[in-house]
Amino acid sequence: MKINSYHRPTTLEEAQRILRELGANGLPLAGATSHAFMKGPEEKAAVDLAWIGYDRIERGGSAFVIGANTRVADLQAYHAPGWVLDRVALRFVSQPIRGMTTIGGNVARVFPWNDFPVALLALGAELVIAGDQKVAHAAETYFKGQPARLYQPGDLLVEIHVPVLAPGCGFGYHKETVVNMDFSLLTLAAWMKLEKRTIAAVRVAAGAGLPLPARLTALEGALVGQTVSTETIQAAVAGQLDAVKWKGGDGFSDAYIRQLAKAHLEDVLIEAWQGAKGGAA
Amino acid sequence: MKKQFTVVNKSVKKIDALSLATGKPMFVADFKPADALIVKMLWSPHAHARIVSIDTSEAEKLPGVKAILHHGNVPRVVHTTAGQGFPEPSPYDTFMFDRKVRHVGDRVAAVAAETVEQAEAAVKAIKVVYEELPAVMSIEAALTPGAPVIHDEPEAHVPIPVPYEPQRNLAARVAMDVGDLDAGMREADVALDHEYYTDYAQHCPIEPHVAMAHLAADGRVVITTSTQVPFHVRRIVAQTLEIPVRRIRVIKPRIGGGFGVKQEVLLEDVVALFALRTGRPVFWKYTREEEFVSSRTRHPEKMRVRAGVKKDGTITAMGLDCITNTGAYGSHALTVVCNSGSKILPLYRTGNIHFVGESCYTNLPVGGAYRGYGATQSSFAVDCMMDELAELIGMDSLEFRRMNAIKSGETSPVFRALGEGKAGVEQSIGSCELDKCIKLGAKEIGWKKRGRWQDKKGRFRRGIGMAALMQGSSIPEIDMGAASLKINDDGSFNLLMGATDLGTGSDTVLAQIAAETLGCDMDKIIVYSSDTDMTPFDVGAYASSTTYLSGMAVKNVAEKVAKQMVEVAAAMFGCPARDIKLQDNCAVTAEGKRATFSEIALRALYGTDQFQIGAVSSRISHKSPPPFSAHFVEVEVDTLTGRVRVLRYVAAVDCGTAINPKLAEGQTEGGVLNGISYALTEKYLFSPKGKMLNAGFSHYKILSMRDKPVITSILVPSYEKTGPYGAKSVSEICINGALPSIANAIYNAVGVRLRRSPFTAEDVWNAMQARAG
Amino acid sequence: MKIQFTLNGEARSIEIAVHAKLSDVLRQLGCASVKMGCNEGACGSCAVMLNGRLVNSCLAYAAQADKGIVETVESVGSLDHPHAIQTALVEAGAVQCGYCMPGMIMAAKALFDRNPSPTDEELAIHLDGQLCRCTGYEKIQTALRNVAAAGREQAQ
Repeated sequence: MKINSYHRPTTLEEAQRILRELGANGLPLAGATSHAFMKGPEEKAAVDLAWIGYDRIERGGSAFVIGANTRVADLQAYHAPGWVLDRVALRFVSQPIRGMTTIGGNVARVFPWNDFPVALLALGAELVIAGDQKVAHAAETYFKGQPARLYQPGDLLVEIHVPVLAPGCGFGYHKETVVNMDFSLLTLAAWMKLEKRTIAAVRVAAGAGLPLPARLTALEGALVGQTVSTETIQAAVAGQLDAVKWKGGDGFSDAYIRQLAKAHLEDVLIEAWQGAKGGAA
Repeated sequence: MKKQFTVVNKSVKKIDALSLATGKPMFVADFKPADALIVKMLWSPHAHARIVSIDTSEAEKLPGVKAILHHGNVPRVVHTTAGQGFPEPSPYDTFMFDRKVRHVGDRVAAVAAETVEQAEAAVKAIKVVYEELPAVMSIEAALTPGAPVIHDEPEAHVPIPVPYEPQRNLAARVAMDVGDLDAGMREADVALDHEYYTDYAQHCPIEPHVAMAHLAADGRVVITTSTQVPFHVRRIVAQTLEIPVRRIRVIKPRIGGGFGVKQEVLLEDVVALFALRTGRPVFWKYTREEEFVSSRTRHPEKMRVRAGVKKDGTITAMGLDCITNTGAYGSHALTVVCNSGSKILPLYRTGNIHFVGESCYTNLPVGGAYRGYGATQSSFAVDCMMDELAELIGMDSLEFRRMNAIKSGETSPVFRALGEGKAGVEQSIGSCELDKCIKLGAKEIGWKKRGRWQDKKGRFRRGIGMAALMQGSSIPEIDMGAASLKINDDGSFNLLMGATDLGTGSDTVLAQIAAETLGCDMDKIIVYSSDTDMTPFDVGAYASSTTYLSGMAVKNVAEKVAKQMVEVAAAMFGCPARDIKLQDNCAVTAEGKRATFSEIALRALYGTDQFQIGAVSSRISHKSPPPFSAHFVEVEVDTLTGRVRVLRYVAAVDCGTAINPKLAEGQTEGGVLNGISYALTEKYLFSPKGKMLNAGFSHYKILSMRDKPVITSILVPSYEKTGPYGAKSVSEICINGALPSIANAIYNAVGVRLRRSPFTAEDVWNAMQARAG
Repeated sequence: MKIQFTLNGEARSIEIAVHAKLSDVLRQLGCASVKMGCNEGACGSCAVMLNGRLVNSCLAYAAQADKGIVETVESVGSLDHPHAIQTALVEAGAVQCGYCMPGMIMAAKALFDRNPSPTDEELAIHLDGQLCRCTGYEKIQTALRNVAAAGREQAQ
């Protein structure tokens, strides 16, 4: 892919208008970090989103409102009670890439190895697409297929709303790579809400080891209502491990990714449990 | 022999460090003229094919295209790309462009155009018709009788009398026997017979291959290239272009790493020929993908180790049978596999030694020189075997090594038996502090607390392993280095050497040797190296020869110059030369007579009996004194996933006198980390048709600062009389310890012995499952 | 298209192809320190500061730098007045081939400018995109630890 023109809108409306005019020739430019992997002969007109705003994090009541153009490095540097995306950001490739990639760029077009979709599915996030109006989609709707299907020409992702991690809730995250900046072999995220010692609610999501990031609903079903313990977690994982088909890659077999899933699903659920117990994320 | 040095054995600042740290233009690409033509190569998409036709007519018409080279319009001169001394101990099996392609990524045709994009467009427009041939993708397939013959060209031969059977894909063979292996095996109380395997890996210098050529005003071609072997480049380009050596100048500026991959002539013939044909400067830089596929790799190697010991720890037999996969061409095929034997077998004392080293062609990327050079592979096999034998007789691994390792004053029949294509050179060990390396390394890692794997519990289990190593310093009787030195008005000196600094710091180290010998400060030495017009000959940076061999040439030339200076001072003082010492940039006598170097220079250059104080000196070595090392590593294994984390790594090394301790440590630390990723993370993935699938840093995994363990390097001094100020080499031995020490540590953690590298998490997990089940 | 930006404190302008990468343009403008080791943003040898952020210039379009601010290692110290990071690297023996150094120094400076006394872990995180094959990173860490220690001292 080669860009043949460059546009720099300064407002959302201007960006939308330009993209509508360009139609299929237009390509929103977020961090440019995925362009190196788009190796076809096609040409696109780049519409740089870096100057239209929607690039900071705000706390709005019970959710963080994250501008879609917020760089991963800013997610890494942001610290606040109930904020957990810094842990996801810290495992994202490398520092210069974190300074370029935006969270929006990581969820607008979903490659199997993308990190943030997994975390957002587990956290029960909402993704807000701006067309004529702003429409909020729950993460499990948004990621049910390629998100492009939810966009009209000219639509742009503008915000991601992530619930503040409440007391009694915990978050676990694991990204398995051979070396730090690798593509993920398996990305797992878990969110758990405890009421006393009962798992009142749980969301578990996986990516990289699956064709597309997805919730592990069978596993969630096996956990909800259980008394939380290492044994119940292990039993649920063992029981529901094969509800999905794990996928190998990079020289690793399907069977091995399945074993990784087994080990690390326990890990992220235990991590979420510890966070829920301790009150702190 | 303890000596007080003024400059040697001090960590003086690397003379180019600040220039590099301030980003000064110092690398090949930084000197690219604005009007340089850009080269792009059409590479073979097939593992094995004949080129039926090449049609460049469309490509030639494209804008900016100035010239295209292919087999139809270049000299057909069979040669080797290996940067080795002449006559090279590698098969002459390569043509600049051939009518046949032998691996995915082999040369087909080259374009020189005004811009990168124009060159790439022209490459795409070249029409080639191939006749695909059955391809050979493994050692086993290559050596199966009736296998497709990769080198069926009549010109292929080796310029020295060594075994070469291309008709059965055998690129090299070397063998030695001392005593009787079978008898030794029968004599043993415990005998083992295991096969080990190490796989493809790439050097990954952060600067890929890059070269430029332009024509000087007199029409000579000047090649500026990122190379380890400027003089071999000059000779081989002359050979392949059929022009005299005197019409070529090769210059090496700063280069961004080599590790052996740049001990090869891969780009220079093409840029030189384009420059001659177009009259324009020409620039060619490999992409990272090309660096993986179309430069050189480590030779994959299959090794069978047979060894036997008595209950008291005596080794009764040591047999090593190695086969390397040299890929599509045979550069370094003989010498690498030969070093698999020669650099590890002498380490252990035994009367029954057997070695066979073979190398076979395949239709895969080409093996070349890579730091460690065969010893990296065989150290893995032999040391793991030693570790296993020690355990079986209930002897501590350290005790077993100490008991059996060669000592100072001893020799081994292997030295004489295994040369590099010639007879080897007998030598006895002049300096060896391996025992102390073992002792200090063991203490640093906490060897005593390693425990047994059987007693370890829990999900995460730790283990400690070690390895004992030796290497060499230069290739005796074969390699030569030279240096020249002259004085300037202000008492400074120009030191001109062929010796090649790849970032290793040899410019600094050799300047230290000169300064020590002359009795002057470092800042009085102006270093210029690796220019075939200006600097005397040196084989280049390989075989761990620079400090030891080129260093002796520098010491020798400095001694000659010092003698001349003393004689001038004697004339100035009116006293005998023997009363005069050179120190602190002055000539002094005990009575207090004094002349600065500048005063001596001015007198010699302008005053009386004028002459240029200066000399040239050459050296060959007559032995290859091994550095010795002991490596220790602590790992943690996740028993649920097989993932191995290296926690701490300790490398204790005897390199004689470390001319520059921090640089010696730096070499050790860099080699260690490279060894760790070679052991755990680096892997070539191939399609069934021989195409590398992961040719980039995104999927070929080397380590970052965030992946590394704590690495502790310990320099253990000894004094090698035949080396400059007691020095031996340090740069290769350090990469050989990770495979065996990590394998041994994994065993100590979870009780599985891995014999195939890399040890991916899946391999470790599978091995644990197999042992459990 | 024509772009203008501040490069190492100086206003520069240059005619570029739309798809030109920032690394190529910076080298055209004389910044030899910007190295290209992989051209896919994986080695960090091209790392520069773009509008206050550490980025891989081989991935960034030059167009993204239009009306912006770019800093390369040419603006970080000189032979006569090296930056503390450069001095520390030289003294620790951390510079071998030097090819990774400009990117390494930019990454380190980006961190030290925000936090004069980072921990070892913070150093490793912020330099995790800078590949080096020569040093094993050991002496680079030593050097940067020394800079961090000096930063701690100054704060006290």
